Amino acid sequence: MKHKIFSLLIIAAILIPFTIVQGAETIKIGALYTMTGRGGQYGKDSEVAIKIALDEVNAKGLPGGAKLDVIITDDKNPQYAVSVAKRYITDEKCKFLFGIISTAIGLAVTEVSKEHKVIFVGTDHAGTDLTANKFQKYYFRSSNNTFQSMMAGAYYLKDEVKNWKKIAYIGPDYAYGRDQWMELKWGLDKLGVKYDVVGEYWPKLYEPDYTSYITAIMKAAPDVLVNGMWGGDTVAFIKQAKPYGLFSKMKYFHVDAGGNYEALAGLGADMPEGIIMSARHHNNWPETPANKTYVEKFYKAAGRYPSYAAEGAYVGIHMIAEAIRKVGNANDTEALIKALEGMKIPCPEDPPGFTSYIDPKTHQIVQVQAIGTTVKNDKFPPAKYMLGNFKVYPAEKLWPNFEYIDYMTKVKGK
Amino acid sequence: MKKIKDYLPWIVYFVFFLGIIVVDPGTHYIHLVARVIIFSLYAVAFNLLYGTTGLVSFGHALFYGIGAYVTGMLVKATSPELFLLYILLGAAGAAFVSFFIGLLTLRLTGIYFTMLTLAFAQLVWGLTFKLYHFTGGDDGIQAIAKPAILSGGVTKYYLFSFIVVTICIYILWRIRRSPFGTVLNSIRQNPQRITFLGLNVYKNQLKAFVISAFFAGVAGGLYAGLDGSIHPDMLHWPTSGNAILMATIGGMGTFFGPIVGAGIFTGLEEIVGKYTEYWSFYIGLVVLIVVLLFPNGVLGIKRFSGNKNNEEKETEVVCNSGN
Repeated sequence: MKHKIFSLLIIAAILIPFTIVQGAETIKIGALYTMTGRGGQYGKDSEVAIKIALDEVNAKGLPGGAKLDVIITDDKNPQYAVSVAKRYITDEKCKFLFGIISTAIGLAVTEVSKEHKVIFVGTDHAGTDLTANKFQKYYFRSSNNTFQSMMAGAYYLKDEVKNWKKIAYIGPDYAYGRDQWMELKWGLDKLGVKYDVVGEYWPKLYEPDYTSYITAIMKAAPDVLVNGMWGGDTVAFIKQAKPYGLFSKMKYFHVDAGGNYEALAGLGADMPEGIIMSARHHNNWPETPANKTYVEKFYKAAGRYPSYAAEGAYVGIHMIAEAIRKVGNANDTEALIKALEGMKIPCPEDPPGFTSYIDPKTHQIVQVQAIGTTVKNDKFPPAKYMLGNFKVYPAEKLWPNFEYIDYMTKVKGK
Repeated sequence: MKKIKDYLPWIVYFVFFLGIIVVDPGTHYIHLVARVIIFSLYAVAFNLLYGTTGLVSFGHALFYGIGAYVTGMLVKATSPELFLLYILLGAAGAAFVSFFIGLLTLRLTGIYFTMLTLAFAQLVWGLTFKLYHFTGGDDGIQAIAKPAILSGGVTKYYLFSFIVVTICIYILWRIRRSPFGTVLNSIRQNPQRITFLGLNVYKNQLKAFVISAFFAGVAGGLYAGLDGSIHPDMLHWPTSGNAILMATIGGMGTFFGPIVGAGIFTGLEEIVGKYTEYWSFYIGLVVLIVVLLFPNGVLGIKRFSGNKNNEEKETEVVCNSGN
C-alpha cells in the first residue's frame, strides 16, 4: 500500500508541473502595423520593440503563469484593418487590439474596439481625436498625441525664440498635417503670443519635389518656419531646402516628428546644425539607465537604433502586462480599464523624478516633452547629428487640456 | 435540361451564401463572406461595362465611394433608421455623377476612355481627401450606425446585404439577358455593326455606364454599414483595380465569374495577409497565373478547353467575314 501511495505521489509530482504548464494561458494581443512602404520602418521597429517587451514581461511572469503573445498583420488600409481587427477578436480570441501607425486606420479600428468591448492600445498614431473628440472608453494610447507636441512647441516659441513675428507653416495635406497647425496656433493664442501668418503650404504626402514651396517660403520670408512632415518627407524637404540657404534665413521649427531618429539617420551629415526639433522619443535623452538599456537592447536585437514608433509599442506591451498583473487575469475588461486608468508606467523617455501615467479621463499617456536643437553627435550612426540643448516641458502643462478638447469637438465633431 | 443548366449558378449562389448561415463558421467568417457578397455586387456591376460592353473603366471606385459617402454622411447627419433609403440615394448619386462623366468619357475609346475615367475618379478622391471639414479628409467618417433592426450581431446585416445584393444581381442578370444586354454584347464584339443596324452605340454605352455606376453605388452604401466607417481609400484607384482583378480572376466573359473572383480575391487577401506582409506579391502571382493560363478566368476554363459558345463563334464569323 505504501508503495502504491509512494508511486502515485511520484506520478503526481511528474504530472502536476505538466498540467500547470499545459493549463497556463496564452494571452493573445492582435497588432496591426504598416509593414511595407514609407511607413514600413515604423512597423518593423515596433515589431522589434514588441519582442523585447514580450521577453521582459514573460520573464517577469504574469498571474497563473500566463504568457503574452502578439500577432502582427500588415494593416494596408482602414477597410482591411477593420476586417483583421474583427478576425483577431472573434476568431483568434485576442484580448487586446494593439499598434497602428496611421490615425485614419486607428479611427476605424477604435470603432471595432468599441463595438466588441475589447481594449485597444494605440502605440504610434498621434491624431489627437482618439483621446479627445473621438474618445471611447476601450481605447488607450501609449505614445503622445500631436497636441502634446504642439503645445510644448507653443511654449518653446514663446519662451526660447526671440524677436519673431512672422510665421509660416508647411505640412502634408492630410489630417495629421492640418491638425498640428491648428493645435500650434491654438496654443500660441492661449499663451497670448502675437504673430502674423505669412504663408501656409500644403504639399501632398510623399511629395518628391518641394522646390516651388521652398521658393514661395523664401519669398514670404517668415521669421519662423514650422514644418509638420514626417519620415522621408522630412529628409527630402531638408535636403532640397538646404542649398537655398533656408535654414540660415529663418528659424526652422519641427517638433512632432522632425527629430525622429529615422530622419536624423536619413539625413546624416546633410542635417543643418541648430534647427529646432523634437520627437516622441530620443535615443540620447534622457541619459537615464532605463533609456540607455532600452536603446542598447533594441540595437542588439535589430542592428540599428530605434525610431520613436518603437517606444510606443514597447510601453504598450508593459501597460497591458501591468494591468493583467493588477487584475489577476485578462478576461475582466472592465477591471482592466480601471487598472489602466491612472496607471503609472515607467517609460524609457521619462526623465529622473517623473513617471508617465495614463490620464484616467482621456486614456492618453501623459509625458514630458523635450524640444532641442540639432548638434553634431555621431554616437548613433549613421546619424551625424542628434538633438541637444533640450528644453523640457512638464507633462501636466500639456495634457489633459479640456478647453482644447471642447474646441476640437466643435471644429471636428464627435 | 437547359433550364436547370441556366439556373445552376443561381442554385450554387443560394446554397453557398445561405449555407454559410446554417454552417455558422463564426462571426469573423460571416463578416468575411458579407464582404464577398458586397464585393460581388461591385464586381458584377463593373463587369456590365467590362465583360459585357467591352469598356475598361479604371474609375469605378468613384461610384462605389459616392455610394459609401452619401450613405455614411446621411446616416451621420440624420438617423440610421432610413438606412435603406440612404443606400438608394447614394446609388442615385453615383448614377447622377456617372451620367455626366459618361457623357464626356464615352466620346473616347480604348485606353483614352480608361485614362479619363481614372482621371475623374482621382479628381473626386483628391477632393474627398482635401475637403477636410466636410468629408473628414483622410481620417474618413466613423461610427456610422446601423438601424436598430440590423444591429446586434453580424448575421442580421449579412442577411440584409444578401437580400439587397441578390435583388441587384438578379436585375443585372435580367439586363444581361434582355435585348438591351444583347446590344451591349454586340457593342463589345462589333460596334460598327451596331451602328449599321441603326442603333446608337454611344447612348447604349451611356445607359450601361449609368446602370453599372448605380449598382456600384449600392455596393458602396452597403459597405459603409458593414464596417461603420468610410474613408477616401474607397475612392482611390486601387479600389478600381480590385474590380478589374475580381472580374478577370473569375471570368469577365461570364455573368457569375466576378462573384467567384470576389470570393477568390477576398479569400486570398485574408489568407495571405494572415501569414505574410507580402500579400500583394501573392495576389499578383495568382493574377499572373490566371491571365497566362486561364485568360477567360476561373469560370471561363470550360471555354479554354475548346468549347466555344455561340457568342464567340459569332465573333469569329464577323471577324473572318471582314466586317
